[in-house]
Amino acid sequence: MNVSKDLVAASATPLILAILKENDSYGYAIIKRVKEMSENQLIWTEGMLYPVLHRLEEHRLIESYSSKSEAGRQRKYYRIKESGLTELELQKKQWEIVHNALDRTWNEESNS
Amino acid sequence: MFDLETQIHSWSDHLRTHGNLSDADIHELENHLRDEIEDLIATGLTPDEAFLISVKRLGNVDAISHEFAKVNTENLWRHLLVEPVDSLAKQLNRRDITLVVIFALLAGTLVKLPELFGFGLLDQDGEIKMFFIKNFSFFILPFIAAFFLIKRKSELKTWATILGIFILAAVIINMYPSFDPHNTEVLTIVHLPLFLWLVVGVTYIGREWQGSLGRMNFIRFTGEAFIYGVLVMAGVMVLFLFTLGIFQAIQIDIGKFLAEYLLIYGGCAAAMITVYLVEAKKSVVENFAPILAKIFSPLFLIIMVAFLIVMMITGNSPFMERDFLIGFDFMLALVLGLVLYVISARDIRQPANLFDYLNLALIMAALVIDGVALSAILFRLSAFGVTPNKLAALGENLALLGNLAGLAWLYIGYFRKKFDFTKIIKWQTDYLYVYFIWTAIVAFIFPIVFRFN
Repeated sequence: MNVSKDLVAASATPLILAILKENDSYGYAIIKRVKEMSENQLIWTEGMLYPVLHRLEEHRLIESYSSKSEAGRQRKYYRIKESGLTELELQKKQWEIVHNALDRTWNEESNS
Repeated sequence: MFDLETQIHSWSDHLRTHGNLSDADIHELENHLRDEIEDLIATGLTPDEAFLISVKRLGNVDAISHEFAKVNTENLWRHLLVEPVDSLAKQLNRRDITLVVIFALLAGTLVKLPELFGFGLLDQDGEIKMFFIKNFSFFILPFIAAFFLIKRKSELKTWATILGIFILAAVIINMYPSFDPHNTEVLTIVHLPLFLWLVVGVTYIGREWQGSLGRMNFIRFTGEAFIYGVLVMAGVMVLFLFTLGIFQAIQIDIGKFLAEYLLIYGGCAAAMITVYLVEAKKSVVENFAPILAKIFSPLFLIIMVAFLIVMMITGNSPFMERDFLIGFDFMLALVLGLVLYVISARDIRQPANLFDYLNLALIMAALVIDGVALSAILFRLSAFGVTPNKLAALGENLALLGNLAGLAWLYIGYFRKKFDFTKIIKWQTDYLYVYFIWTAIVAFIFPIVFRFN
């Protein structure tokens, strides 16, 4: 099933922050991780991911550094910052509010 | 055979020219592509299959750059001045801007300094003194050289060598006497900046100054600096005229003040800013210079062929005056400039295209016209004797002619697939030595040979 564009965009920030909280990562690995976590339902494009990463970096929620990959290539890694962790907690709460509200209304629907 | 590296390079080059992407973005995307390819190869695909699929998955360039553009909303000019996200790059950029400001002020002050000791810029007739014209290069070029030496983190030894050359050159040309009719002095004035610019080139290229890649970058830099310089200077002139105009409206004449401060400091600042701009954002003009060349090289070709035809039909020989030789030097330099703009912007991996053939045609036309001119002039030289001006003009002509002839020969070989394009670039970058040596000879040795006349 295709997840709507708006929803993908809205969920991008918390997902990236959550993945970076696990460990530092880079663009290609993040896309793979999202795909894996969503059981192949969320396929992000590079055109979407990198701009979001750069915006998060600009807002100082994450930071980047370059490091050599196993193959010996210079790669840009991203690391979550203290403010990013705070932001993630905030986003989590917001999503919980939405999630709970949806959950309740849908349950009521099926109960009535 | 499929060469993965070449393909990846062409892909990122394509991204660079067609997208609204910064170098860091492109580097990141290229890495992404490589990751994808590696993964696909690991699953058993061949490199070419993996490449095709990865490129397809990344999506077309327009779509990518459109997404990026939402973040990179800075347009062209903001792109130049707004600091990039990267914090290290930001610091470096700030340092560069500080250097530009300091050096521009220093250079301007250096021009004004002699005035404090009663040696003003202008003489009684309101003309700029010979001393300033002769030493013009020394007021600004050392600062540009220093800018690059700092930027390239050059070693102390390089600093000493470059500084030594500047000081030595300054001492020599100011010690030389000059007698009427000042021919050699004028020649020195013309050739010294060219010579010193090539010295600046060494600082621009940095460590790899012996490699043809670095030198090609310098040739490109020269061409772009020229375009930027004209634009920035035009801005300074507009500012000058505008200020003059509005103050005149309230009956205050500030022409003298402006000429003494705004033009001097503005001129120095324009030079430094030009250098900074070209260096900071290489890709902006990179797309612009070749377009200019592509518009004008066909037009020049038409004019030159028309000239040849008319000359042959009418039988008029226009080469009776030696002044014309200088005119033909300019023609050759112009053709060389056009050809270089096209070559420098060219991707060496691309096959020959229409503009390469056009380049060759342009060179050939220039060679034929110059051949006719030279034969006429050589005859006159032998008949009327040698003067420094004639010899300098002739030397320039031969140097440029040699350069273009070499290019033509290599181009032909390249079209016949005898060797690849890198050979053309190597020839051009090696040829810089000839200009270096020739300008040094005219600037420093001619005065001695011709007894400072």
